[in-house]
Amino acid sequence: MDKQNTTCKQVMHYICDNLGEDIDSPKCIAIKEHLNNCGNCQTYFKSVDYTIMFYKKYDVKISEEAHKRLMNHLGLED
Amino acid sequence: MTEEKIILEAQNGNRQALSELVKMYEQTVYNFAYKICRDRDRAEHTMQETFMSMIRSISQFSGKSKLSTWLYTIVSNHCLMMARASKKKFHTSFDDDDALIDEKSIANWNVTPDRVTENNELKEILDEAIKKLPPDYRIVFTLRDVEGLSTEETGNITNLSIPAVKSRLHRARAFLRNELNETFQNG
Repeated sequence: MDKQNTTCKQVMHYICDNLGEDIDSPKCIAIKEHLNNCGNCQTYFKSVDYTIMFYKKYDVKISEEAHKRLMNHLGLED
Repeated sequence: MTEEKIILEAQNGNRQALSELVKMYEQTVYNFAYKICRDRDRAEHTMQETFMSMIRSISQFSGKSKLSTWLYTIVSNHCLMMARASKKKFHTSFDDDDALIDEKSIANWNVTPDRVTENNELKEILDEAIKKLPPDYRIVFTLRDVEGLSTEETGNITNLSIPAVKSRLHRARAFLRNELNETFQNG
């Protein structure tokens, strides 16, 4: 989903797809009405989004020593 | 030279091409292995075993999937094997969806994700939280949300059905969010 141009309908499709529900089902309509007016849900989804971002940004770089040990282990030294 | 050509050369026993493939993917494999193992020594061991498997089986690589997908599969299997061997018990129950979302604990967080790159204390908190997840949940979360693979690709790598991937992803997200919430919420 394009984050900049996400519409409510796309969000609903996404949530309802995960629930296996049709977009026009009573369950999805009730979810949409709730989401539109619920600060609690918006805060919750923001913290889930942050959780994912934290782990995305946490990268580890391979050290030069680990690279050498790898090439040595594989018999592919320069 | 394109990756396809390098793989073909490697399949014909070209040592230089094999070396080139290892160099192209060592950072991806090490990073992914670290994200699953959460330990530098284990990540390095997994990376070495993954490339050893790649060299042994490169002639069988058909090109139907991406080489990166093939490598993710080897890393995932290796990590699951190590986890089974360690016989570590995971005490958290992931069967009760209601217990994973506690309405009373919803609050704004006082930290933003861009701080993670330079903050070791924050990294420790993230490591401790994800280590509590069973390995299959950790792998699904990392493949889908962190590495950005599709549900289908994640299912193929982990040998899980699409509903099983979705259910593990939902539970892993909710669990990690709850673990971090205890530290990051205001007040």
